[in-house]
Amino acid sequence: MAIAVFFVAAAIAVLGGIGVVTFRQPIRSVLSLVLVMLALSVLFLLLSAQFIFAVQIIVYAGAVMVLFLFVIALLGPARELARGRLRFQTWLSALFVLVLLGLLWAMLQGVQYRQPEKADLSFFGTVQSIGVGLFTTYLYPFELTSILLLVAAIGAIYLSRRRIDDR
Amino acid sequence: MTLDIGGSHLDTSWFLLLSAILFVLGAAGVLVRRNPLVILISIELMLNAANLTLVTFSRQLQNLEGQLFALMSMTVAAAEAVVGLAILVDIFRTRDAEDIDDLSELRG
Repeated sequence: MAIAVFFVAAAIAVLGGIGVVTFRQPIRSVLSLVLVMLALSVLFLLLSAQFIFAVQIIVYAGAVMVLFLFVIALLGPARELARGRLRFQTWLSALFVLVLLGLLWAMLQGVQYRQPEKADLSFFGTVQSIGVGLFTTYLYPFELTSILLLVAAIGAIYLSRRRIDDR
Repeated sequence: MTLDIGGSHLDTSWFLLLSAILFVLGAAGVLVRRNPLVILISIELMLNAANLTLVTFSRQLQNLEGQLFALMSMTVAAAEAVVGLAILVDIFRTRDAEDIDDLSELRG
């Protein structure tokens, strides 16, 4: 059962990834990415990461992708021209990508997996265990991310403000 | 190395291979596409693939730190998307930049 779920979700994720790269209209790329994120959230559930699953759907597929859709709606549909200025860009990119995939494949062959001692998964990845981790051991990085979000919000407001002096 | 998920045995390397494929697809998008918006979307795809690796190893080692790091990485991805889109909107306000190659004023 789990194997079937994995392969269906993996196929959807790969097809969505191909769609992100190949669709000409940006809005279709965004919707393909939403598909990838939903498939990945199923995989997170398989890996007993319930909280990450919820965050993936709410924050990623919900908030971030809606932001992308809003920007596309704001800027209007923009079709990409078929040819670029750099003539060998596609071939060079294909070469680079194949080399990168081969490198990752070679690295996967050499991974030494370590078997953990404990085998209790009843609390693994629940909201409670994640919360305990975030608010005890990792409190400092957790607070730092709030500062990061504040900086990002201020930066976005500053960048997208209406300039009075140049119009 | 196999993971026991609900009685079925899944190989850890399957998840890692899927993550590698998605990461490479995102890299291809960044390299090939010329619409700046699609490049941002491809970067999001790469970040998602990295998250899958983190969560997979977290499950494999039964160590929660991978999941916590995936949460941090989601935060960083959200911040990156917000700032990137704000910059894009600012650029598009003054002119039509459908091609990333048009934004070449910083050339020396």
